Formats: sequence, C-alpha cells, structure tokens
Amino acid sequence: MTLEISNLHVRTEEREILHGVDLVVRKGETHALMGPNGSVKSTLANSLMGNPNYEVTEGRIVLNGEDLTEADPDERARAGLFMAFQYPATIPGVSVANFLRMAMNAGREEPIKVKEFGALLKENMDLLRINREFTSRYLNEGFSGGEKKRAEILQLAMLQPDFAVLDETDSGLDIDALRIVSDGVNAMRGDERGFLIITHYTRILEYVNPDFVHILIDGRIVREGGAELATELEDKGYEWVREEVAAGAG
Amino acid sequence: MPAEFVENRRRAALEAYEAEPVPTWRRSGFWTTSLRGLDLDALEPKRYEPLEELPQIVKDDLGDEEHAALIVQQGASVVYSDVADERITVMPLERAVEEVPELVEPYFGKRLPHDEAKFAAGTAAFWTGGVFVHVPKNVQIEKPIQVVWLIDEPGTAQWAHTLAVVGDMSECKLREYFVAPDFEGQALHSGAFELYALPGAQVDLAHYQDWGRGEVYDLSTRRVEIRRDARVKWVPIHLGGHLTKQTLDIITAEPGSDMRHTGLYFTERNEHLDLFTSDRHEAAHKTGDTVWKGALTGDSRASYEGLIHIIPKATEVDTYLQTHSMLLSPKAKGDAIPSLIVEVDNVKASHGGTVGELDPEQIFYMMTRGISRAEAVRVMVEGYFEEVVQRLDDPGLEDLVRRRVAEKLHGAEEQVREFIGERAETT
Repeated sequence: MTLEISNLHVRTEEREILHGVDLVVRKGETHALMGPNGSVKSTLANSLMGNPNYEVTEGRIVLNGEDLTEADPDERARAGLFMAFQYPATIPGVSVANFLRMAMNAGREEPIKVKEFGALLKENMDLLRINREFTSRYLNEGFSGGEKKRAEILQLAMLQPDFAVLDETDSGLDIDALRIVSDGVNAMRGDERGFLIITHYTRILEYVNPDFVHILIDGRIVREGGAELATELEDKGYEWVREEVAAGAG
Repeated sequence: MPAEFVENRRRAALEAYEAEPVPTWRRSGFWTTSLRGLDLDALEPKRYEPLEELPQIVKDDLGDEEHAALIVQQGASVVYSDVADERITVMPLERAVEEVPELVEPYFGKRLPHDEAKFAAGTAAFWTGGVFVHVPKNVQIEKPIQVVWLIDEPGTAQWAHTLAVVGDMSECKLREYFVAPDFEGQALHSGAFELYALPGAQVDLAHYQDWGRGEVYDLSTRRVEIRRDARVKWVPIHLGGHLTKQTLDIITAEPGSDMRHTGLYFTERNEHLDLFTSDRHEAAHKTGDTVWKGALTGDSRASYEGLIHIIPKATEVDTYLQTHSMLLSPKAKGDAIPSLIVEVDNVKASHGGTVGELDPEQIFYMMTRGISRAEAVRVMVEGYFEEVVQRLDDPGLEDLVRRRVAEKLHGAEEQVREFIGERAETT
C-alpha cells in the first residue's frame, strides 16, 4: 500500500512550479519534505489533494494502485488521502462537531452512531488536549493559529486516513502547542498509515522522527536521505544544499 | 350593513387607484421593476366555498404544529378558520368590521394610507375576506397564530388585508404564509399587512412566502408599529415568487421600543425580487437591528434596499443594518443597498452591505474531507443562512425553510458547479 508520486509537473496560471517530482511513501513510513520556499512545498500538498488552482501537466499521483491524478478532491479523500492545511478555510455556521460528523459520514455507507462518534471525539480531544466548548464553535471562525492547527490534527485523528500530508503544520506554533500536535501525530503513526510532513524547520522533526527526508529546491527534489539529513540541514542551512547541487550539476 | 369607515376608505381608495397609472420602479444602475408582463385585466377575485379539510399544500407547510388559531384565505374567500384559544379574536376582517367595529376602527389603515401608491390603493379598495387578529391585554399565547394566503389557480387576483393588534403587555407568535402550487399562468397577490404592538407587548412575527413556479406577482406593503417598551421580532422569508415588489416598514414609535428584523431570500430561474425595508425611529431610547441575507441562482434578480431613518426627536437610538447577497450563478444579479437618514445627534447607527460569491477555497477545503461538491455548497449556503433561520426560533418553520433551501440548491446544482469551476479556474 503506497502513495506514489511520479514525474509530477504542476503549474499555476503564471508558471510551472514543480518540474518533475518523484516520491514514494509506503504505509508505516514517515517522510519529511523540506525546502526553503513555502509556496513550492504547498503546491505539492495542494496538487496531491486536487486543488483546482493548480494544474498537473505531466506525471501521476497513484494511491494504493488507484490513479488519482484527475480525481476530484472528495474522491481522493475517500480513497484515503488527507491533508492538514497550512491555512485552513473558515466554515461559518458549521460547528467543529458537525463538520467532523459530516466528514466521517462522507466516507461511510451507514452514518456513524451518535454514541460511537461521541466516544471517539472525546478520546481524540483528550489526546490533543482540546476542551469541550471547542467543538461547538464554528470551524476555524475566530480560531487562533494554534487552534486551527489542532482542529486540523483533530480531523486527521477522527478520519484515520491511509496517508496524511501535513502542510507546515508546525509553523506558527509555540513549543507547547508543537508538542501537543506532535504527540497527536505520533499516536497516529503505525503500520497502517503513511505520513508526509512538509516543513521549513527541523524543529518538528525532533518530536516526530522521520524515516526519510527529502529536500525540495526550485521545484525539484535535490537530496534524499534518512533522519540524519535533517540534522545536517539544521547545521548547514539550505544554502549549503543549493551550493552542493550547483557544484554537482557543474 | 357594511361599516361606514370601511366603505369611505374603499371609495376614496378606488378614486386614487383609478387616477394612478401602473407604476414602474427605476433606480440607478441596472435596476427596474416593471409590471409590463402582467395582464391585470385577465385576473379576477375568485370565490370559494368553505373547506372541511385543509388543502394538502397548506398541511405540508404547516406540519403538525398545534396553533392558537389558524385562518386560511383562498383567492378572495376565507375558507377555513379554527380558533383554539378562546382568549383571542381571529376572524375574517369582513366579519370583524361588522361584529367588533370598536376593536377594528381605531387601528384600521392607521399606518396604511389608502392613497400612497397604485396597488396600496387597489388593496384598500378591493380587499375581500381579510384577516383580523386581536390579542387583548395581559394575555400570553404560546402557540402560534397562523394566517395562510393561498392562491390555488391562475387568473386569480387576491387583494389581501391583515390587521393585527396585540394588546398591552401581551405576548404572541404571529405567522403569515403565502403559498401557491406550481401552476401555469398569472396571478396577483396585492397585500396590506399592519401590526400594532401596544405598550409592553412582545410579538414574534414571521412571514413565509413561497409562491411556487407559477407567474405570481406579489405587490405588498407590510407595516409594523411598536409602542412604548414593546418589542417585535420580525423574520420575513422569501422563497419564491415570479415578481415580488414589497415594502416592509417598522416604526418604533415610542420610547423604549425595540425591533429585531432579520430576513432571508432565495431567488431562482427568472424570478425578480425587489425589497425595500425601512426602520423608522420616531422616539428616543430605542434599539434595533436589521440583518438580511439572500442567495441567487439562475437568471434571477434580487435587490434589497434597507433604510434606517431617525427623525429629529429620536435621540439615544442604537441601531444597525446589515445586508448580504450571495450570487450562486453567473447570470444572477443582486443588489444590496443600505442607507441611513439621521436627522439628530446622539444616536448610534451603522450599516453595511455586500454582494459576494461562494469562496472556492472553502469548497475545496470541505471536499478534501470527502464531502461532495454539492454537499459542500449546500453546507456553505445553509451556514450562511443559519443566523437568520435560527432567529425564527420555531422548529417547524425552521425545518420548512431549511428543507426548501436544500431543495432549491439541489435544483441549482449543475449551474453552481459550473460557476464554482469557472471561478476557480480564473482565480
């Protein structure tokens, strides 16, 4: 069971942003995708989910053998893909609890039983140290940055996808919030799930230890390695990678 | 023997009606409301015999909620009435002017000049049947008083008048429903509504309009007067009508009066909705707010113009007006125009108006959670309307509005999908 991204070229109306990205995430693995430029990394996350603002001009996205390159975002979600947004949208008039229930029922034949939903919600809220009033607020309306990120991870925990992409979930979090979010992610890790953690900083990787690290620069993956690559990057910075790549190419 | 005060008003109104040409309403920009398409001469008041049982369409809309009173006018005739609460008077206005003229005369037409406009004059001249609601003082009524205006067939001209008086310190819920089955052909509802909330009264008022797919023209004036320390919460709901031109006015007439005015509209196909509302503050120490939300599909047109008017002696007024209009189709056109006339210092008044579209980022976000596009649109529009629907504070009516909005959205699914697709590609 894998998420396979092969030779992915993506453009917006103005220009091509990804110039052929290859990446394979197997279940049970946690990958970190690092890079200096936020918009390029977010482009990859959004393309994986089928954001209509991005056009895939070449390459494929295959999940568990199913080609999702052209699929609508809701089909991708039902196929087992999830993204935690860097900047999640506000959904006025819909409470966190109602939204969660709707999302869970979207992937089911029979709606989830009220009791089962309640128990699951409580368990996951405890895990993320979210208090009860939170779930009756309208989703993301008036939420702080930290609350938005926690709401994203709460959705992840409730929906239990096969593969989860975390788009800069760590940015803007203070250390306590980062620890809570990381604990949540760690609790979700296991043989039945793969993670792709997109980040600018190595900080979250101290809490969520990746199996593989990929470095994305100028729309291409330029270096790959194990967790030690993140440490090296922390010491030497992105400029070092850029220079190495330039030297290698020259 | 018809009451003289009624006959005098009819005569004067008929003169005014005949002197006035059929109006066309124009405003700067694209907006014109014209009755060119209406063949007025082909319409007539249609009389019906009393009914033993409620018509199905009325049953469907009212649900099984118990009422304090229910009165139904079909075409030109009151066909059904049931007063369950003996403390109140609910009867055809025609009968009330004969049987209880002392209750009717002090209020009849008090805030509805018989000659202010062509169709207002027509209604004052031609009304038949009609509804009179009287809640004596110091009475609390829990269950709603329901008034139904039914147009059952094309060719109908319905000249409607409702007079409601809620006595000192009394409380009640008053609902008017305006319904028609889907038919082919034209009909007219020309309506007059007046409510007097006497000192200390609390009135929970709602209007529910769903004229169906027929060519129903609705030209109505509704006016609410709120006296000292009285409070009226008014929720008008517009869910259908070929052409609607309405004026809804609230007059907070004495100190301490309070109004909450929250409306909703949903237009589709080639419907045309022209709403003008005003909050007229005539005395000091009043509070109020007005919130209107609309959504448009198809080729429909909807214009909402809301005015806050504070006259010179009305100091210490605190009020605001907000109006929003959401376009769900590329061909729909909407207007949201708040305005303010303040003739005095020492008041707080604010207003705002927006015309917007569904945000493709919100739709995308919901879809990434497995929710289909159609469902996401429905949720967004319902969430947008929810603030207004909850103000109804009436589970039966809330469900009816939610259900009808969902049905209309379902009908518009294709065009909304194309519109959002289009928007997303051009972002």
